[in-house]
Amino acid sequence: MSSLTDRYVAATMRAVPAQRRLEIAEELRGSIADMIDDRTSGGQDHASAEREVLTELGHPEKLAASYSDRTLQLIGPRYYLTWWRLLRLLLTWIPAIVGVLTGLSKALLDGEPGAAIGAAIVAAMQTAVQIAFWVTLVFAVLERTHTPLGLPEWTVDQLPEETRERQISHSDSIASVVFLLATIGLLVGQHFQRWTTDDGTRLPALDPALWSFWLPALIVVLLATVGLEIAKYRSGRWTWPLVAVNAVLNVAFAAPVLWLLATDRLLNPELVERFAWLRDGGTVEFARVAGAVVVLVAIWDVIDSAVKAGRATR
Amino acid sequence: MVSEEVLRTHLQELRRGTVVVASLVALRRPDYGYALLQRLAAHGFAVDANTLYPLLRRLEDQGLLTSEWNTEESRPRKFYRTSDDGQDLLNRLLDDMTAVRSSVTELIEGAER
Repeated sequence: MSSLTDRYVAATMRAVPAQRRLEIAEELRGSIADMIDDRTSGGQDHASAEREVLTELGHPEKLAASYSDRTLQLIGPRYYLTWWRLLRLLLTWIPAIVGVLTGLSKALLDGEPGAAIGAAIVAAMQTAVQIAFWVTLVFAVLERTHTPLGLPEWTVDQLPEETRERQISHSDSIASVVFLLATIGLLVGQHFQRWTTDDGTRLPALDPALWSFWLPALIVVLLATVGLEIAKYRSGRWTWPLVAVNAVLNVAFAAPVLWLLATDRLLNPELVERFAWLRDGGTVEFARVAGAVVVLVAIWDVIDSAVKAGRATR
Repeated sequence: MVSEEVLRTHLQELRRGTVVVASLVALRRPDYGYALLQRLAAHGFAVDANTLYPLLRRLEDQGLLTSEWNTEESRPRKFYRTSDDGQDLLNRLLDDMTAVRSSVTELIEGAER
């Protein structure tokens, strides 16, 4: 019959390094017996004394861990900061990039723009989970094996220079870049994934003739705006040169669009033919509304950047 | 009013190193685990058994204690004794405790003035 003590010692020994096991087991058994004897000589019955002693010694694996000087945490203070910094760094960009790429390929290559956003979110979340899992696993193994990483010691030179708060946050920059890339994706996508009209023919929304110059030009402007976002993020705040570049880029985007709208060259003529309200003067209405939106967005964006630059330089 | 929880963690922090000192002092006379536990408790060092037993092992691994099995009594017991290295380390620790003690005294007297 195995007593509680036997079971306790066995449970402890399972988690103790094999080469010390016998000796530790014998000593522990002796110590438990001593503690029980001490209680029974005071009049307590053996069974309850045994329970009390083992309860006092606590969880066998916890005891075994302190015998073998092992940590009982996934990632300890030694690696915690490194783990957390790396995890944040990877989670900041990679899921967003994977999401955008997945969404674009779903929309353009597979021709399913409707499913693109869902696919992008799922891909981004899966990537985030994968990154979190693998990074944590690697650090947990490092913690367990006591592997020295040989990381450079922290020095005062690593202190960030600016003490003012960042005006441009991580998430704002990421959202802007994602939005710009998605817009480029839409411009390209509308050509391949066409609107299906009633009679089953599929037409691009924008005039395919624009691909000879104007659509590539607009895409270049959008890519330049992505560059501006990155420059802005690196500087941490709006500066007057950035405001100037922003204004130029806004004009470079809005002006051609307005001109194309005004000269009725933006929409695909074949598409206009299909829709009665567009054919019967609807294009003028569309040009007015779209033109107003484009102008308002551009003006608001430039004013916003100027106000923020003014605030930052104060 | 200081909560029990806060008091407990600070006392634990303060006591942590003193168990090593107490064990090295006490084991200048060889003894086995449970007997040492009782001796320490009698002198006001209330150490948990699950702290002390693994600690003795670690001190032995570090060469600060030596051990010997005694098989003459009713059950075999492992007797620990403070080694020469252990005595050296103990002297350093005691010096440091004295230094801490006198610094605290000085600080208290300085603050009262």
